[in-house]
Amino acid sequence: MSGSFTGRPVLDPRLAPPFPTAALPVLRNPQLRKNVAHATDVIQSKRARLVAEKTDWQQLRTAAAAIRSHALNHLGEYLEEFEARCNAAGGTVHWASDAAEARSIILELLRQEQASEVIKIKTMTSAEIQLNPALEAAGIHAHETDLAELILQLGEDEPSHIVVPALHVNRSQVREIFARRMGLEGLPDDPPALAAAARNYLRQKFLTIPTAISGANFLIAETGSVAIVESEGNGRMCLTLPRTLITLTGIEKVLPRFQDLEVMLQLLARSATGERMSPYTSLWTGVTPGDGPERFHVVLLDNGRSSILARPTERQTLRCIRCAACLNTCPVYRLTGGHAYGSVYPGPIGAILTPQLMHMKYAQSLPFASSLCGACYEACPVKIDIPKVLLELRSQVVNQERVQAARFGDPMFIGMKAAHRIFSGARRFRAAQWLGRFALRLFTRRDGWIHSLPGLGAKWTQTRDLRGLPSQSFRQWWAARGKEDR
Amino acid sequence: MRTPIDSRRLILDRIRTATQNQSQGALAYAELPRSYIRRGRLGAQDRLKLMIERLREYDAEVVECAPDELQAAIGAQLALSGRRVFVAPAGLPADWLAAGFDWKIDRDLAITEIEQAEGVVTTAFCGVADTGTIVLHHAESEGRRVLTLLPDWHLCILYASQVVETLPEYFDRCQLPPPLATYISGPSATADIEMTRIKGVHGPRFLNVVLVRDED
Repeated sequence: MSGSFTGRPVLDPRLAPPFPTAALPVLRNPQLRKNVAHATDVIQSKRARLVAEKTDWQQLRTAAAAIRSHALNHLGEYLEEFEARCNAAGGTVHWASDAAEARSIILELLRQEQASEVIKIKTMTSAEIQLNPALEAAGIHAHETDLAELILQLGEDEPSHIVVPALHVNRSQVREIFARRMGLEGLPDDPPALAAAARNYLRQKFLTIPTAISGANFLIAETGSVAIVESEGNGRMCLTLPRTLITLTGIEKVLPRFQDLEVMLQLLARSATGERMSPYTSLWTGVTPGDGPERFHVVLLDNGRSSILARPTERQTLRCIRCAACLNTCPVYRLTGGHAYGSVYPGPIGAILTPQLMHMKYAQSLPFASSLCGACYEACPVKIDIPKVLLELRSQVVNQERVQAARFGDPMFIGMKAAHRIFSGARRFRAAQWLGRFALRLFTRRDGWIHSLPGLGAKWTQTRDLRGLPSQSFRQWWAARGKEDR
Repeated sequence: MRTPIDSRRLILDRIRTATQNQSQGALAYAELPRSYIRRGRLGAQDRLKLMIERLREYDAEVVECAPDELQAAIGAQLALSGRRVFVAPAGLPADWLAAGFDWKIDRDLAITEIEQAEGVVTTAFCGVADTGTIVLHHAESEGRRVLTLLPDWHLCILYASQVVETLPEYFDRCQLPPPLATYISGPSATADIEMTRIKGVHGPRFLNVVLVRDED
């Protein structure tokens, strides 16, 4: 991305820098912050208006949370039911235990199709398994057809939001990318002209490329159907025109019955884009002769999800329907945007999902990228208690660090150990207070403030002053006051 | 390399191990709380008014007519559109195919023929007033999915008796889950560039609805 970034953002959690480091360039980039603030403000205000008009919003949230929890509690049964119905309707269900297996299944299917190009609907799951680079390496060009994904693909950039992946890019940047990559020199920068350019660029591809890859919003166990919610119609193109359709989806996306959509669809668009419904919702079941693809494959992806399922507090993470309401409302995301999270899943949901998908081996800084204010929980249409999961993950990260720190004699670890000893006995505590007051007096200036401390203490005084300790502790003052009264 | 059978068993085993100890509060499907609004409270006139209002908010054009005025209303809409070449699903009533226009009836039309059409006329399964949604189940007169996708102009004939107030009421009208369905809420749109809503990216840019007052 020319002008907005120092290099392409890294969204592989195994390679990305820790959140505080990754956030710095964004915080120093006023244009980027303006773009993110504008987009999140617009969605927030639209969402607030449409949620307010829904008098049964809380009842819908309660129902949605219960449906999603129930589906996860019985995930095995519902997946087998989905598989049986989908296969019976002419689809083929594949199971991928991790990202590498999902990539190889899809590559093998494309080989059978002798595909050299595919058209794609926006799918975060394909970004999660890094499908596009694998396709390129196999000589298959993937055309992203969602407008935002197209902007990112042509601009060699990465998504920064789950629903509006290019929200960090403004119209003049889009114009520059399209003009350069589509060879349209005189392209104006008004959004309708830019959208029209995308329409023309993609139209022939829709009509001629016979293989498509999609994600899924919901799988219906009862019928073996798949549902996709979208705005532009690029999804409908990919779902109806090609000869072969491959749908990649996480195993957690299953709903028990068709009727459960009556809850999910009332929540999803309002939460995601601040609309009553997205322009297009498509539902299909296997293969229908004379209407749509002749071959249909579903790849069910585990990739760490079953291990999240095994943990009682964290299981609720899998209820997520990827509406991104938690991103738009998060005071941290609203300042940093998505790239700082070093994952295709940014924001509060990313902060809990990403480290878990990485089996807590990477992205350990993410559970700390939150003020625990709880705005995400309040916005979540399926009531995921994100702060609670954040705290659980923080304790896991600290426990990991404790083991490592003990081995290397880390000063923070020794300090915490010492504090533990000191705070667990009254005499030790009093002695430490006395020592502390004595030691800090050496650093206290005449104005009563400590302006700089050595060692670990410098971490505090680098950014703010510390008031010097008073000459008396509260306990001393209390004891003295008692004597006077008598 | 695992064989496909192994991966299926591996994943299902992991899931079963993860879910074997159900928590105390786990609810059976029939017990799930569903205290949201199922039935609307509006009378027939207000329900239709809401449907029209919501459709217009999406920039859809809406006209109303009595059942015996339908043929004329369709003709007027076609003429107003300034278009000439239309596709129609095979199940569309023959007397709706107004004279003076080029009609291509979809009996296995090639994609290129549908692409070249300037508009399409269909019926619908249902309309949902609360969200301004038109529901297609792709029956004979609703057309296969691509028919309402490629032409830039979609004229949908919706009967007042098909309009429900809430989304759950639509689900109640489904005797069986449809194998194919498309829910259309306004013309194709995007807000991907600076959250500015732009009408018409890949789907039809124009959605016109004739609402037939068959309940009066």
